[in-house]
Amino acid sequence: MCQKHSEISQNPSHFEGTAEELVTSEIIQANYADYTKGMKFFDPHIHMTSRTTDDYTALIDAGVVAIIEPAFWLGQPRTGLASFKDYFSSLVGWERFRSSQFGIKHYCTIGLNSREANNEALAEQVMEILPLFLYKEGVVGVGEIGFDDQTAAEEKYYRLQLELSKEAGLPVQVHTPHRDKKKGTELSMSIALEHGIDPSMVIIDHNNEETVERVLDQGFWAAFTIYPFTKMGNERMVEIVKKYGSERIMINSAADWGISDPLAVPKTAALMKIKGISDADIQLVTYQNAINAFAQSGQINVTDFETPVVIDQSLKFNGNTVLRGGQIPRVDKNSLIIS
Amino acid sequence: MNFSEQLFEKIKEYASPKEVNWIEAKNNGSLQSLQTAFVATPRFVSKTIINSTETINDVSISDWTLDRLVRVYLLTTLDVSDKDIYTKTINSLFETAENNEAVALISALPFLAFPDYWLLRATDAVRSNIGLIFDAIVFQNPYPLQNFSELAWNQLVLKCIFNDKPIHRIQGLNERANQALANSISNLAHERWAADRRIPEQAWRLVSKFINETIFEDICTLFISQNSNDNIAAALVCKETNFLALKEELKKHKELDERMLTWNTLEV
Repeated sequence: MCQKHSEISQNPSHFEGTAEELVTSEIIQANYADYTKGMKFFDPHIHMTSRTTDDYTALIDAGVVAIIEPAFWLGQPRTGLASFKDYFSSLVGWERFRSSQFGIKHYCTIGLNSREANNEALAEQVMEILPLFLYKEGVVGVGEIGFDDQTAAEEKYYRLQLELSKEAGLPVQVHTPHRDKKKGTELSMSIALEHGIDPSMVIIDHNNEETVERVLDQGFWAAFTIYPFTKMGNERMVEIVKKYGSERIMINSAADWGISDPLAVPKTAALMKIKGISDADIQLVTYQNAINAFAQSGQINVTDFETPVVIDQSLKFNGNTVLRGGQIPRVDKNSLIIS
Repeated sequence: MNFSEQLFEKIKEYASPKEVNWIEAKNNGSLQSLQTAFVATPRFVSKTIINSTETINDVSISDWTLDRLVRVYLLTTLDVSDKDIYTKTINSLFETAENNEAVALISALPFLAFPDYWLLRATDAVRSNIGLIFDAIVFQNPYPLQNFSELAWNQLVLKCIFNDKPIHRIQGLNERANQALANSISNLAHERWAADRRIPEQAWRLVSKFINETIFEDICTLFISQNSNDNIAAALVCKETNFLALKEELKKHKELDERMLTWNTLEV
């Protein structure tokens, strides 16, 4: 992840054009939002619990009107059931409210993540409370579940949760592993098919050039995470859309507590626009496909975020929360004076 | 008719036959099925707005959504014969509630058996920073009026004032006014004034019966405020109070005294 300075100088930026071209590219860089004016975005994978209010402001300013927050690992293992319960509860409670104060519609997926599936004693207890949360308003899927180390325990709880999704009629959001990704992705798909789950109900996440073809061929949704260093870069993403089109492809930021970019979706939309991809295709991969996939839960009502945002005055609260006077208060980051 | 039946009658005015059938199938079921029904209500019942000025069990249900009304109704059909099972069932709903469920649970407090038992749930709702949940305990809800200690009551009212919420919609606002609350309002005003801010003018309606030297000075300050609503609030306090010095003070502000003013003017 961390690049050595010596390596950077040996491997100069791939930009090798003229000085004028460099100036043009810098202007485009600074004004990329001009290319996405009037566009609306749906980020189907972002962990807002780990993000600040600045991020929420940036998201709504960039046109992100709705998001899905999948339940995940918090960076360190939880030691008891109560912390799982409180976490799930915060996804349908406080975080949902926090998001609404910025005019962003917040959905979530609920599940036992693959890493913590390896603590079997705790995993058993978590499985018992999952149904309590899966039937709640605004829960649009079981997720993110799947493989990390590809252990037997991971497989066991992946299968059990696939059954839960079938029972609840919910889509499944599948995390694919960082290591040995191709094998893990294949395994995730074949197990889902073995359980009789319609591939149109399954979103395979964190794809790359190596996995996309098999995912699409078998009828699954292919999600791409634009995440610096460890996952996809957005220039590579543009090439994928050029090659495979926009059907059943969606992008997300998976922004979390790591070095990630909550604006990955609008930025990639801008890059696609600059590189000549049609508005219709951009709309599909940055908005509509995610809605179509997750609306199969019956929990997405597009009028909730497509009608002009009126921030509800009954949500007004100026204690240590953020909304005041019906609009998002702006903090001038460069101002020394805080009033 | 008991309140549970009244709620169901009201539901039938707004629900489709299909929705009524679903509710009827659920309200005779086991605890477990009732619990699941509470969670699943929005999957089967619409969010039609109730337009009714009527109150049921002292609770105004105006502007509630139908699914909220149905959830409250379902809770009133729970078997209360075993306190442990009853409270355990409702507690588990509280512990896993998403925001709309929490609103329904808090709205249901005046309908629940063992009112004292739910006190911590109610004061926790006052502590909530989720606006909808806070509103559900503070407005259209007689539970605080009937069950809160003076300290808890004052906290509720002060938090409303602090957050610019419409205190006139609190049930029992005038009857539970007290000296400690009046003093706290005065203190809050001092803090705000020091920061060149103000408190919502209608908060001063709560001090009229509790004027002391400090609050007397506050009212004089309101009279010289640049904000005309502060001036009106000062005049209204003077009209209501028996504190003689304020009666004298009002004479200096004839133009305010002669206007037909009421606190309604300041209710926003």
